[in-house]
Amino acid sequence: MLNRLNFLLILLVTYRKKHFSIFILSTLLITLLSSLMFLSSSIKKDIYTTLENQADFTLQKYIAGRVLNTPESWIDEFLNIEGVLNVQGRVYGMHYYEPAEQYFMIVGLDFYDTQIVKEMQELVENINIDEFLEKKNMIIGSGVKKFFDKYHYFDYYSFRPPDRTIEKIYIYKKLNSATDIVSNDMIIMDIANARKILGVEDGYVSDIVLKAPSLEERETILTKLKLSHFDMRIIQKSDIKKYYENLYNYKGGIFLTLFSIVLLSFGLILFQRYSMISSVDAKEVALLRLSGWKINEVLWFKITENFIVILSAYFAGIFLAYFYVYFLNAPLLKNIFLGYANLQNSTTFSPNFTLSDLVLIFLLFVLPFLLAILIPLWKVSIQEPSEVMR
Amino acid sequence: MIEIKNLSKRFKSERGTFHALKNINLKIKQNELLVIQGESGSGKSTLLNIIASIMKPTSGEVLIDGENIVSFSDIHASEYRKKRVGFITQSFHLFDELTLHDNLLAPLVIRDLTREEIEEHIQKALTTANISHKATQRVKSLSGGEKQRSIIARAIVNNPDIIICDEPTANLDHKNALLFLETLKLLKADGKTIILSTHDSLFKHQEFIDRVISLEEGSIG
Repeated sequence: MLNRLNFLLILLVTYRKKHFSIFILSTLLITLLSSLMFLSSSIKKDIYTTLENQADFTLQKYIAGRVLNTPESWIDEFLNIEGVLNVQGRVYGMHYYEPAEQYFMIVGLDFYDTQIVKEMQELVENINIDEFLEKKNMIIGSGVKKFFDKYHYFDYYSFRPPDRTIEKIYIYKKLNSATDIVSNDMIIMDIANARKILGVEDGYVSDIVLKAPSLEERETILTKLKLSHFDMRIIQKSDIKKYYENLYNYKGGIFLTLFSIVLLSFGLILFQRYSMISSVDAKEVALLRLSGWKINEVLWFKITENFIVILSAYFAGIFLAYFYVYFLNAPLLKNIFLGYANLQNSTTFSPNFTLSDLVLIFLLFVLPFLLAILIPLWKVSIQEPSEVMR
Repeated sequence: MIEIKNLSKRFKSERGTFHALKNINLKIKQNELLVIQGESGSGKSTLLNIIASIMKPTSGEVLIDGENIVSFSDIHASEYRKKRVGFITQSFHLFDELTLHDNLLAPLVIRDLTREEIEEHIQKALTTANISHKATQRVKSLSGGEKQRSIIARAIVNNPDIIICDEPTANLDHKNALLFLETLKLLKADGKTIILSTHDSLFKHQEFIDRVISLEEGSIG
């Protein structure tokens, strides 16, 4: 066995040029395919992780197709509905950042609410709420920070509220990069400051969110909410989920297109390998058969030879894709999936793939490749050696 | 002892059926050097291919020490080629990109031999074929005569008792053809049974040749 392995290595090294082109091409295709899979599953995971912590219902005052500020007094009404938890008023809105011609999302939170403090501590590392509230502070997303830095707003930024005053807010911290997919363009500040900047009057909020942990009660709560105010729009968590699913299904279409192109390219390589068994391969088979090699010995030998090449390409491709997606953050390819809806997203992707993903790539590439090699070689091997030699 | 009984081979093509061998009967003794002469297309190569078990006849038997190799399955035919036959071809059928040494590995790695035994076999074959000095060179860089000696080394590396030579001097100059004759003498002296096909006049009147037969249109003349 060792002697055969030694001979195999000699052939691999000697005919390295023949194998190298297959190796490079396969590595590129496996890298692209794996990158697509890694990216797709990473984005999905990040979105669902973020959505998991979202409220079950979002309620807005809604008249004649317009969203208006929602009365804060509704909060107490909703708290009286059985099964409802964590009713919170949110103040948020868009801020136009003129220097960069970009919109940022300002979110005002009530930092005296223990639940909000708890959630913020998950989003921002080492946040000291008391220190945060000492002066007018804000926590900003990665994209916002990038633009602030670009225009030298390192310590604070002065907002221009609708009442034409100037509201100077200090930059306290940056949000975790892991949440970039939803918080890239976000500015979080105390609810009072947000109200002033966004022009939301006291006694009003942008919307109200609430949780209904029990699935059985959710339908009843929905009905009660519907009956409570005729001028109210109810957005359920499942609606938000659907919105994201639709958005990423559209991205999934692009993914599928790229995926198909990769598979098609690979198919062409396979077809080339299948239909054009090289004269070198045929001669090798004839020489081995002439030397007393049995058909199965020749086939195993050639399969092993090609298996080493394609397996090396497989591991190289997976490694490169991992590096490209999780270390380099998938430049170029990322934009296809995340788009430029508002700020260019600088999300960092967290590794999220299973063994079955790797097995799938293996099955998609390695097996068809080996079959494409095996079948023509088998056809050559079963011929009389004298025929092949001719 | 090789005994050929009623051996026939027909090739079918679009142009019809071609009778390459017609009812051949032949006995070759152990350690005999038999030369088969004949024009191109007379069936010499076909006969040798069948004896080497790389081609099946249409009918007839080839008995090697009483065993009919024609009825061998692929596994048995491969074993027979591996252990008993060395084939010297007119074309230089070798792995061109490999060194001569590595070419000789091919027949040996499928046998249960240690690395030392393999090296021993290779060195012996290289010495007999008088090509030891080119062992580390790639075959493609060798001259025609050296390639022919490389083929001989590959044919005898497994120490077979039957050597089949198909037009061995067809691509050699006179000097290298004479060198080949010397090697043949050595092989015969080593106890090998040698069957050689040629239309080279060089093989006429050589003392060490036991018998010369002629093939004409698939029949022994």
